[in-house]
Amino acid sequence: MKSFTHYLIPYIVAGRALLAAKQTFLTVTLFLVNGLFYQLYAQTIVSGVVYDQKKITIPGVTVIAGNPPKPLASTNGRGEFRISVPDGSTLVFKFMGYIEKRVTLKPGQTTVSVVMEEDQSNLEEVVVRGFVSRSKQLSTGSSVTISGDEVKDVPVANVEQLLQGKVPGLNIQVNTGAPGFRGSTQIRGLSTLTVSGSGNESFLQPTSPLYVIDGVPLDADGASEFGFQQQGPGVSPLSMIPQEDIASIEILKDAQATSLYGSMAAYGVIIITTKRGNSEIPRVRYTNNTFMKAPPALRATLGGNLERQLKIQQILANARGEINLDDLIKTPFLSDSLNAYYNNSTDWQSLYYRTTYNQSHNIAIDGGNPTFNYKANLGYFTEKGVIRNTGFDRYSANLRMEYAPNEKFKFTGQINAQIGKQNKGDGAGLLQTGVSDGGATSTLMPGPSFYQANADYVGSLRTKNNNDVRVIRPVAEVSYSIFPGFRATTFFSYEFKSSNEDTFTPAAANNQFAKVYAFNGRESNLYSRTNLTYAKTFGDDHNIFINAFNEVRKGDRQNSITRQERTPNDQFQGPLGFDGYYSRGGGILTNFLDERAVSFALATSYDYQKKYVVDLSYRLDGSSGNGFDNLYSRNPAIGLRWNFDKEEFLDNWDWLNMGALRLSWGINVIPNGTLERIYGKYDITGNYNGQQGIGLNFDQIPNPNLKPTTTTQYNAGLDFSLFNNKVDVIYDTYYKKVDNLLFEENLSNTVAFGKLISNDAGIVNYGHELSFTIRPLSPSSPFNLMVTVNGAYNRDVLLKLPAHYGGQFIRFETNSGNRETYLQHNVFRVGTPSLSNYLLINEGVYATDDDVPINPATGLRYSVNGVPFRAGDPIIKDLNGDYVLDANDYARTGNASPLFTGGLATNITYKGFGLNINASFTAKRTILNNALADRFNLMKDPFGLKAVIPLDEFNMWRQPGDVAKYPYAYDYSRIEIINPYRYDQTLWAEDGSYLKINNVVLSYMFDKKLVRSWGINNLRVYISMDNVYTFSGYSGPNPENVTTMGRDISEGYPVPRTYNIGCNLEF
Amino acid sequence: MDNLFKKVKLQWGNPLYSVLGIMVVAIGLQGCEKLYDLPEEQEFLSPNINYPSQIFEPIIGRTGELGAPNTDNSTKPLKFEIVNARYGDGRPVTDIFQQQPTYVWTGEYTGIETSLEEIEAKRKIEERPLFEVQESGKFVLWGASTNELITPRPADSSNLVQDRRYFDLKITNVGGERIIRDFQLIPWRELPYEPNNDINRYTGGVAPDPKDPRNPNKRDYIRPSLTNVIGVESNRNLVTNDDQKDVVVYIRPFEGGNGHNLRFSFWAPDSTAIDPAKFNETRWNDLVHGFNRVNTTEYVQYDVAYPIPLTTVATKYTTGGSAKLEFAYSRLGFNNVRTTAYIGLNFKIFREGDWEIIFHFRRELPKFEDE
Repeated sequence: MKSFTHYLIPYIVAGRALLAAKQTFLTVTLFLVNGLFYQLYAQTIVSGVVYDQKKITIPGVTVIAGNPPKPLASTNGRGEFRISVPDGSTLVFKFMGYIEKRVTLKPGQTTVSVVMEEDQSNLEEVVVRGFVSRSKQLSTGSSVTISGDEVKDVPVANVEQLLQGKVPGLNIQVNTGAPGFRGSTQIRGLSTLTVSGSGNESFLQPTSPLYVIDGVPLDADGASEFGFQQQGPGVSPLSMIPQEDIASIEILKDAQATSLYGSMAAYGVIIITTKRGNSEIPRVRYTNNTFMKAPPALRATLGGNLERQLKIQQILANARGEINLDDLIKTPFLSDSLNAYYNNSTDWQSLYYRTTYNQSHNIAIDGGNPTFNYKANLGYFTEKGVIRNTGFDRYSANLRMEYAPNEKFKFTGQINAQIGKQNKGDGAGLLQTGVSDGGATSTLMPGPSFYQANADYVGSLRTKNNNDVRVIRPVAEVSYSIFPGFRATTFFSYEFKSSNEDTFTPAAANNQFAKVYAFNGRESNLYSRTNLTYAKTFGDDHNIFINAFNEVRKGDRQNSITRQERTPNDQFQGPLGFDGYYSRGGGILTNFLDERAVSFALATSYDYQKKYVVDLSYRLDGSSGNGFDNLYSRNPAIGLRWNFDKEEFLDNWDWLNMGALRLSWGINVIPNGTLERIYGKYDITGNYNGQQGIGLNFDQIPNPNLKPTTTTQYNAGLDFSLFNNKVDVIYDTYYKKVDNLLFEENLSNTVAFGKLISNDAGIVNYGHELSFTIRPLSPSSPFNLMVTVNGAYNRDVLLKLPAHYGGQFIRFETNSGNRETYLQHNVFRVGTPSLSNYLLINEGVYATDDDVPINPATGLRYSVNGVPFRAGDPIIKDLNGDYVLDANDYARTGNASPLFTGGLATNITYKGFGLNINASFTAKRTILNNALADRFNLMKDPFGLKAVIPLDEFNMWRQPGDVAKYPYAYDYSRIEIINPYRYDQTLWAEDGSYLKINNVVLSYMFDKKLVRSWGINNLRVYISMDNVYTFSGYSGPNPENVTTMGRDISEGYPVPRTYNIGCNLEF
Repeated sequence: MDNLFKKVKLQWGNPLYSVLGIMVVAIGLQGCEKLYDLPEEQEFLSPNINYPSQIFEPIIGRTGELGAPNTDNSTKPLKFEIVNARYGDGRPVTDIFQQQPTYVWTGEYTGIETSLEEIEAKRKIEERPLFEVQESGKFVLWGASTNELITPRPADSSNLVQDRRYFDLKITNVGGERIIRDFQLIPWRELPYEPNNDINRYTGGVAPDPKDPRNPNKRDYIRPSLTNVIGVESNRNLVTNDDQKDVVVYIRPFEGGNGHNLRFSFWAPDSTAIDPAKFNETRWNDLVHGFNRVNTTEYVQYDVAYPIPLTTVATKYTTGGSAKLEFAYSRLGFNNVRTTAYIGLNFKIFREGDWEIIFHFRRELPKFEDE
């Protein structure tokens, strides 16, 4: 009969949860039932409320009592519970994230008020390893977990940017403000030497970590294959995840943690877990953000009359002869005072940039108990770009249910559906070339109006760009425990993604002919995983855990484009196909994919008294993309952990709460083989006997011996927390060697082929990571203060190059086509940082003519292109001492990879108020300020239709004797001759160190009693600001808004500042 | 034993030890960087570093740069050193390294200096090895070299191995050392002026007539350019070419100058001087970059700085790297048309001294009179 009671009560409680509306009635019923049993078993009805330290009630706390202990009830939405237990029982209160609380009832006590303390130690945290949750205490790898709360109060399209500065070793640079795009992410330094594109558009192949979202691996580098010359929508896959739905984010850094994820995980793993249904009573939570995006300060420009006066003065003062003066007269916008626009002053930049007002809405409904729970999350996010005609909208619906009728069986179903709509204007998204050019138009030019069209302006603002990405991803997981400790799980997901882009450029923006671009992409990923796990304890001390799984993956991708260079008029936008003559090709893009992959992995873990832990894992990855010689790549890993706080000899170190030492080693292997690299590329070319011929493309020699890139990583870590968890320290040091790195070698011109893709390059990254958290105030104080500082030092060193280079390879930029090229070279030299620049060394400006050195043998001054330098010209170091500035004077200088990255976070709460400040820093990194170089170069043509910038603020040479930094800008004809503002000099190289206040959030949680009277369960309002302020010595606008190669380019999309007001409502 | 263990246990608890422990860990981590076995950061010295040509044939007596290395992007600065200089038969070579005073530039010659002193202030005399390699990897043979100091190639035009000078070049930077072997230096004997088609390059003697090289009674001459110069007897334009040499030029030293004089004279067919004043349209002040002009009826003399021209900087006295002479006179031609006649010569003089340039009208005098 007793056992009947114990079974019955949970059901009653569950019933209460399901029928919240009839609560009163049920409570009465409960009273009756309890009363009945009380009579029979001398039981007491105990009721009470559970609070946390801030006197806020906690719903969902499990109340356990009896012998053996059994869960009897859980607290309702108001934190109340009511149970029937024998007199004097001991009640145990358990809730995730809180320290277990035991209360022994005094005889006759019927009410109890329980205060539960938050568990400050991260020991009980759960981490995910190889798709299986494990206790963090037993984890040998290096990882950091971030809760969803830390990423909820600042509305962003891409949640990744909120991780900036939160994880030591995770280097995130928010280097674009383009809505829906993402910045760059690297875990533990550089892993590639592959640079595509040229000049300013040099694009370092992104090596983003593997994202695993609710168990489904996702390639975050999708849509980045084409560098800056992007094809298709280019919506980052991460922009499709609504931040409100994120429960936790875990970042895996070392090879022990990542090796189980195989070859895709060589650059680290970021695991995102979305929220689960977690409320006995169904609840509705609504989040609203209303935010303003403001463009950063725009470039100062001289307007109208000032511009004209400056140009005229410049011409008069620096004319080389009569002809220049005649040119002035022939330039009407400078000299024709009868011109109707003579005093015109158009602020071009304000025509392109704007402040926008945006909002996001998110509704989450969840409910259920451990047996059955569900959640639905519906989100809408819209962000209009600070550049007109750009923006990003996201619609998302994530549904999930879990059903576990008993301890053996569990079923999970989930569907994620997202639509991302993006507008890139006429730019390629990351680059806004039209806006950059248009914004630099002379203010004397009449602005766009009813009867005036400006090609840049029309192109940027009237181009119809409509693109969207639709993703649907159903997921099902079934898990069954055949016998205690042994569990089999099957996980299945299918992702289908459709990407479309339509761009219509009106005639006025394209030499009087409208043009059309269309992109159509389909991508699907079938993913299935079967896990077998077994956990067993031998004796009391020996625990083993075995996790074996296999994965099957099938990926398909086919993207195609259509380009029609001339269409009849602006009205006829399609259907197209009227004239093949103006079709400019298209067809299937080269990122076509038809891949089948299978993986097998085995992970075993052994621990002795949870004190000594050994992890061994091994994974085989096979892919149809690998060559037959390297069909399977092997990823082994070993991890060791010593929880030394559990040692007896440290028992008297009371101040040590937790301490562990970790060591790990592992290998991740990434196949480099593609069909093209291994077997060569065949083109339809020429003909033979009247038949179409197919011949080998001689650009690239097939290399069947291509080896997979192998990343070997060692990690040593020390974790400890001291003084009642007031101080937490996590330290890691690592050595990561990337070997067999892909390297493109140019072949001699006596060989039939142009280049060889080899993999004889290697990089080493090593560094230290430290995270330090302090909670100085006592837990009972109404104030709660937490300060976290973290930092990482990473150095990369080029280990080797193909032997015949002798230790150095220079990636020379060359002039190509008619576009202005940025001849900024890179040098790869063994033993030095991998991303070094190869530039001329600028040492200031010649104050007087006599400062220019003279060749003692020839009597000629130091010269360039045969023209001697003079006062006002840049001092460019004549490195080889031949008194001629040429390609022999380049030197290795700078490093585009930052040495230090990190951040700090402060969290203050007082009663309902909360204040969060997050900051991040990047230090010791070279930036080339090409935007400034561009601006100085505007001065070289005073007759041209470009704006001029005020130069007063610059330390520029103006007259003989001036010791200055920047060469003389007004002598326009000399600029053409000696090119003082050449891009390939260190004048533009600056230290890109910065400290950025990422965001500030001020929140207030209303008193529950008050809001309940309004019919709301919970109300929290907050204001937040993102991209608050950047402290930096950098002369440009934003040291972060630069390419991964460290170049601050004018065409970049500025990162806006966000002001937000938001609220969380819970019903 | 038990006691000992207890002691150890007590010691473990001592906070001093934790501090020590942290220090040990920190020092250990420092040591780790050595464990990484990284290649050292070093400068790059390309194995492909080379010179386009390793045979240098400079002319003695002229300051000139020879050769420029293709460094294949080796890290600068590079240190160059000439080693193992020897003749082809193994005898050591020392003559080219002897120290001699030679002009080195310290200021920029512009062509607008107004006195010799101003020019001389821009250069100084320094002791230099006659042949040396510069910081840039270019070689220099200084102008102080003479046939006496450096034996030129044999006058019999042979080019035997034992007469050639060989040397190796050692190139170093922090990244290592390379040796480029077997450079050859085969100097031409001094040719003190240009044009020098009247000198035999091997012997230094008189050059034979290009049209009749085996005739010892004929020789080659320097020839000026002539425009509108009409012979007084033939009434035809005077010409000077391989076949007919109405006017020739002698560039030769003269005695009795101050050591840096330059004279111009004009000779009649009988080798008597024509009064230079007859070249009435000549811009004497802009003729050469000289000072203290002395006009006599026999010559016009300047104080000049040698070599002429001083550098390759373009000035109003030069054209295409040579000094430019232009003598002119005008006369009334037929129909009262004024015609201007020009006699020009582009020349260089390398050796310091007193030089005269003589325009010899060998066949007939030019016609200065009006028609």
